[in-house]
Order: sequence, then C-alpha cells, then structure tokens
Amino acid sequence: MSTTATSRRRRLAAVVAPVAAAALLLTGCNANERANDAAASASPTAVERGGTLRILTSATSVNWDPAMSQSLAITSLGLVERRLTAWKTDAEGNTTVVPDLATDTGTPSEDGKTWTFTLKDGLAFEDGTPITSADVKYSVERSFAPELSGGLSYHKSLLEGAEDYTGPYQGQELDSIETPDDKTIVFHLNSAYGDWPWIVSMPAFSAVPQGKDDPATYSTQPVATGPYRVAETVEGTSITLERNPEWDADTDEARAAGPDSIVFELGQDATVAAQRLIADSGEDQNAFGANFVPAAQLAQVQGGPAADRLVTSGPGALAYLAINTQAAGLDDVDVRKAISLAVDRNAYRVASGGEIAGDFASTLITPGIPGREEYETLFDDVEPSGDPEQAQQLLAGAGWDGRELRFVVKDDEASLAQAQAIQQGLQRAGLKVAIEPQADEVYTQTVTQGDGSGYDLTLGSWQPDFPSANGNIQPLFASSQIGGGGYNLARYSNPEVDDLIAQATAETDPEKAGTIWSQADRTIAADAPVVPLIYTKNSFLHGSKVVNFRIPDFPAYPNYLQTSLEQ
Amino acid sequence: MRVARFLGTRLASVVFVLLVVSLLTYAVFVVLPADPAQLACGKPCTPERLETARAFMQLDKSWVEQWWDFLHGVFAGRTFGGSGATITCPAPCLGYSFRLNTPVTELILNRFPVTASIAIGAAVLWLLAGVAGGVVAAVRRGTALDRSLMVGAITGVSAPSYLVGLLGILLFGFTLDMVPVSGYVPLRESPVDWAWHLVLPWVVLALLNAAIYTRLTRAQMLDALGSEYVRTARAKGITEGRVVTRHALRNVMIPVVTIFALDLGALLGGAVITEKVFSMAGLGALLIDAVGNTDVPVLVGVTVFTAAIVVVANLLVDVVYTLLDPRVRQGRVAR
Repeated sequence: MSTTATSRRRRLAAVVAPVAAAALLLTGCNANERANDAAASASPTAVERGGTLRILTSATSVNWDPAMSQSLAITSLGLVERRLTAWKTDAEGNTTVVPDLATDTGTPSEDGKTWTFTLKDGLAFEDGTPITSADVKYSVERSFAPELSGGLSYHKSLLEGAEDYTGPYQGQELDSIETPDDKTIVFHLNSAYGDWPWIVSMPAFSAVPQGKDDPATYSTQPVATGPYRVAETVEGTSITLERNPEWDADTDEARAAGPDSIVFELGQDATVAAQRLIADSGEDQNAFGANFVPAAQLAQVQGGPAADRLVTSGPGALAYLAINTQAAGLDDVDVRKAISLAVDRNAYRVASGGEIAGDFASTLITPGIPGREEYETLFDDVEPSGDPEQAQQLLAGAGWDGRELRFVVKDDEASLAQAQAIQQGLQRAGLKVAIEPQADEVYTQTVTQGDGSGYDLTLGSWQPDFPSANGNIQPLFASSQIGGGGYNLARYSNPEVDDLIAQATAETDPEKAGTIWSQADRTIAADAPVVPLIYTKNSFLHGSKVVNFRIPDFPAYPNYLQTSLEQ
Repeated sequence: MRVARFLGTRLASVVFVLLVVSLLTYAVFVVLPADPAQLACGKPCTPERLETARAFMQLDKSWVEQWWDFLHGVFAGRTFGGSGATITCPAPCLGYSFRLNTPVTELILNRFPVTASIAIGAAVLWLLAGVAGGVVAAVRRGTALDRSLMVGAITGVSAPSYLVGLLGILLFGFTLDMVPVSGYVPLRESPVDWAWHLVLPWVVLALLNAAIYTRLTRAQMLDALGSEYVRTARAKGITEGRVVTRHALRNVMIPVVTIFALDLGALLGGAVITEKVFSMAGLGALLIDAVGNTDVPVLVGVTVFTAAIVVVANLLVDVVYTLLDPRVRQGRVAR
C-alpha cells in the first residue's frame, strides 16, 4: 500500500574515511542549519501569509492532469485546480462539501437524476481567461479518453449514455452534460444519486481550457485555477508552486493559501525525511512529510522533543478480513461467524504496529462518516483476541468439512505479518489456513476480477473516496461490485442489501440517506461477509514553523489547503 | 586492419547482446503476470475500460509483436493510440511511460546525469583509495598497517550499503552536521553545491567498493613484486619506489582496470540503494519506482539502456587492454 497522501492507492491493503580531509574542511560550516530556539509552537492560528512550505514525499512525480488523478480534494491537486465543489475541514475535524467553482453544491431535479450548477462570477484561469461551463464540461469529457487513464472514475458509470463515450479528441461530445450558457452546467444521470455533490469534488470536475489542452504535457503543465500554479518541475526531484495572481480568495472558502510558494521535494526516502523532520533544522522547519511516519521513527518521536509535531489521525480506513461468500462451505453464515470469532484481532493489531496503528473496528461505516451508528455486533462480548471455543462449536454445528482455506494476500512484508496473525488465530479453532502471497497486480486480478475461485480469504483496507456512507458500503457490498474490477472482495450478494443501497443512493436528503445506510450496515454485519479488524490511523510529522497542519475525521490525511507557515 | 577487424567483431557482439537482452526482458514481463493496464484503468475499473486501456497501450498484441514494435521504435519512433488523439514517442524511442506521461528516452536522459555524477565521482575515489591501499599493504606486507587495511577492506565488503548510507547520514548529516543529507544540485547550476551534495554518497560508495580493489591490488602486487622482472629491475639498481610504480603497478593495473570498468558500468546503470537513501533522482531510483508501479515500459527501457552501458564498458575494457598490454592487440595469448 502506498503511504503517501499525494498518490495514494487506498484500495486493497490489502497494503568514513578516505575523505577525512575534505570532511574536516567542511566542519566549519553548517550543512543543515540548526534552529536557534527550541521547537516553536505549532498551535492552530489564523492564516499567516508568506514563506515557502516544503512537502517531503516519496512519490517521484505528481500527476497534475485532473483526468488521471486519484488525489483527494484536500491534497496536492486541490492547491492548483479547483473543482465544482470542494472539501472544507474545520478545527473540530468535520469535513463538509462546499461550493468551489460553483455557487452552491448543486440543485437536484425532483427525481434526483438531473443536477444543475452555476459558476461563480469573476473566475479566471492563471492566464486571465474567464472560466466557463464549457471548460468544466470539457474537463469531464476528457476523463473518458483512453490516453488519460488512471483517475477516479465514479462519474463514468453515473452519467447517462457514457458507456461508449471515448473522450472529446475525436470531436465527440457527451450529450448528458449540457451547458445552456457560460455559467450553467447540467448533468443528466442514469439514476438518482444523492451524493453527486461529492462526486463533482473529484479531480475530473476541474476546468480545462480546450485550447491549451495537450494530453501529453497537461500532467506537468496544467492551467491553474487554484491559488497556486506550477512554476517549475525538475523531473523526479522537485516541483515548485508559486502564487496564481488570478485566484481570488473571496471566491474560495476551502483554501487558506498561506505560503507564498510550495515546494514538493520528490523521491524522499521515508526514513530520511522523518529524520529531517525530527531534527527540524533550517528549511525543514517549514516542511511536512506526506508519507506516514515509519514505525521506527514513530517510536523515536514518541516522548521526544518532536512529539508535539507528530500528528496522528483519528480512526480512518477500515481494515478487514474478507470471507469469499461464494466459496464452498463459506456460503454458510455460521461458518463465517465462526471465522469472525476465531480471528485474533489483537494479534492483527500488534502485527500492524500496535495501538497507534488503529482502534478495533465495529461498524462497516467508518468513524467520521455521516450516518454511522454503533450497533450490537458479534464482537461486543468477545475479547479482542477472539473466542476460538465458541468458533469451534459453531463450526461443528455447521458441519464444516475441515478443508484448507486459501488465504490470498499481497506479497509485501506488512501484509504477510498481518496474514500470519490471522492464520494463527484461526488455527486455534481448528481451521486450516494456507497463506498464498501474490504480487500486487496479480493479487488485484485474483480478488477483483473473474469468478473468485482463486481464494477463500483475503485482507482488505478501505477508506471511501468521499465522506459518504455510500463510499463505505456500495463498493464493498453491492452485488454489482463482484468481479469486473469491483472491490466486493467477499463476493457478497444480498438482494435486501442491494435494495437498501439503491434506496439510499437515490435519496437526496443526507439525513434520510444516513438512516438507510445504517440499516444496510447492520444487515450486512449480520451476514458476516467480512471481519472488521481495525480502523487504521495515520501519523505524520511536520516542522516547527508549520501551522494549521490538521487531519480531519475524514479523510485520515492532512489538509494541504489550510496548512501555512508561522511568520 | 587487425584493429578494424577486432573492433568490428566486438561491435557486432555488442549489438547481438543488446538484442538478446531486449528479447529476454520482454519475455520475462510476459511470463510475469503483470498487467500495467490494470493500474491505468482508474477507480473503479470496469472490464470494458480495462480492454480500452490495454488496446491504447498496445498491450493487446503478442509479446513478440510488442518486442518488434519496441525495436522498430528505437530507430523510427512510435505512435500509441488509434483513431483519436495519439501519443507519439520520437526516435530513439525506448518506450513510453503512460504513468509519467513521458517517453522513456527522455526519462533516462533526465536521470542519467545524476547517476553519472554519483558513479563517476565515487569510482574515482574508490579506485584511488583502493589501489593506494593495496599497494601500501603489499609493500608493508605483514605489518600492522597491512593487517588493519585488510580488516578495513573486509568490513567494507561486508557492510550493506543501505546501512552505511543511513549511518553516514545520521553521523555526518544530523549529528556532526557537516554535509547535506539529501538532494541533488545540477553541475551547471552550481559546481560547488553539486560536489557538496555528492560528498556523502561518494564516500559511502567508495568505502564499500574500495575494499575489493585493495584486496585485488594487494594480491596482484605481491605476485608482481616476487616476479623475475622485478628482481631484475632491482638488480639494476632502480629505486624501490620506481620499481613499484613503474614496473609492478603497470601489470597490476590490468585486472584492476577490468573490474573497474565493469563496476563503473554497472553503477552507471543506477546506484539503486544509494540513490534511494540520499533521495537523488537517478536511474536507480527511476527503476525502483517503475518496479513499484509496474511501469513495464520504463523497466524495459532502463534495462536495455543499462545493459548497453555494461556492454560498452566491456568493449572499452578490451580497447584499454590493447593499450596496456600489446600482446592482446597482437592476438598473442597472455602468459
């Protein structure tokens, strides 16, 4: 699993001596300038303007092409490209969808299938050209082009008549997006979709001027609409952003735009970057790490002087064990419950890095998502280490044949350690488990494509791409998401659940939708297609002059748009 | 005439080796069930979009066809995509990275100066230090100096570069605060900053590699110092310093040069771990990144480029041999 916020892949975790003389010569000067004072406080303050913010990341590139990006609305791309809507996070940790290029978060038609947005006045690209609804339409259209692949694609199956659309480069338009005038844009959907305001916060819903679109270079030379523009890119080494003079702060409630410039230091070794942030010298005081802090540095920081510069998220992604409900014998809910009870969730957490790795999970809707309601689960009266005896009884009652379970995981060290913890837990109840490590994409194909005959158990980790219970439930448990690239790893199919998902998806009143999602959550949990393990936590480090570096309840990543520097 | 034929044969074998390497590389990636289209498909990914991505990236062809397209592209350039917008990769095209939206040739040209800066500086350092250490150890055979040099050499050979790199960063970067811990400054921007940022990687690599040269030089030197022509030279009254440098060392350098050229060639293909630890965007870092992201075009392009460097390094060794040792040029078998 990638550990950067700038290029996350949140899907499946399942995740000296010969020159002593020269050295002596250099001792006189300070290579890494030291701070004179102790670590300055980084308490939340009002926006301070100025300075150069440095972002240390192990990623070797940032793809600025909105059609090719899976970037969260509050990280890298959000600094340069505005979308129809944006995410606003507050000091209490709430994340809300707010208007960005649009004047509001969209107006649905009676039937919820048509959404209309109006653009704000006075918006312009970095070259001063006014932004029109045609530029937004074009941006969405080009996300369908095969040469611009890899981006978030939720809208592609929602827009009407988009099945065979292959982008605007052959002169074809997507008729389900209408632009009656320069300010208005209308989307026609296949079916009612209450979370459409969140969908239009995704990168594809930026504005791209057709006249300046070269698909081969847009990923490094985008036309900025946000507070910053890309000033310089040194391939593999750094990207420098500078202020975009055409951006108007009065039209933007999601971005603080504190620093005068932002430098991405690319290809940084996560360990070295963490050491630099701990040392907090010179320019590094103005830096933060986009990668999770590695386990060793996490231990080093805790209790040390850098402890107050370590920011750990609340419970984020749901890490779970998926049970293939279509595999022989596993279609019996009692067998699945037995597996759930036999799992040693404590051992799993220890294998994942201990307490700081996350809290034990209960519901399938993750914390911080509207609609989440705690309910009585299978695990309420069970120790985190599980209850192998009760599991054994259930297995005997279900007439389990004792066959060996194929446990397919990614072949990285972290996944293997986690899989072994699960395997040992299950063995206590007499279950036979064989771990099968597979290379990344092979693994992805095994579990997301085909008929799923290649596995009985697998590990998954899921944080929704937008803060709606829809993003928690639909991708993992709708029967339409089995195989064909979908993430229903348990291959779980329940018409009742599908019906609830359809109802909640179509509901445009968020509160009513929340109630239905919660009901779906309970219904699924009763069938035990997955074993919720932990809600993972992410830790990040920042320099002493970095302020407003905060992680909201959702997503478990820092908000780059609000981060600024003490002046 | 002889020289021309010698060079002609060697060049033909260079081309042959590169063809085989590129063929094998393609074959390997077909045997491996890697599917770059899966990553290019987006999220969520439908089977139809997966097929479209595969066709656009020309991954729907057989691997032999793909190999042929690759070879063709090296000389004539390539065009990806069909009827709609296309992506062109001008010759010499070593492939196109759809992930980075850049021709592989351009990526290699961007990254090579970084790797070359690390490799050449480190190589010069370790050659000087290694050979000097070896000569001193041989001349002072059996003394405490000899033994400590050999212990140092064993330590250097055995130490993992990742560990030495990180320890170097911790000690000289953070604790002693003498050198920058990461980053690369291009030579044309500031030669001083360029060298200053490279000191630590040079020393780390030199430390690890000099050991082999110390041991090799020492052994060869001892052999040479015991030989008849050295005895003759001494008998003629030539000073010991001159005997060592002019007579013995010249013979010692033949195997040293062989190993040096191969080591340097391999290092020019990317000092993978060193680049990673010191956060320098060289070929090695590019390769590691490509492995992590299943960027097959980059893997193939960089592999072929690296192979070319190693093969050319070999060729140069052969040429240098002929300069150092006339017997090779004349086709006689060495002793």
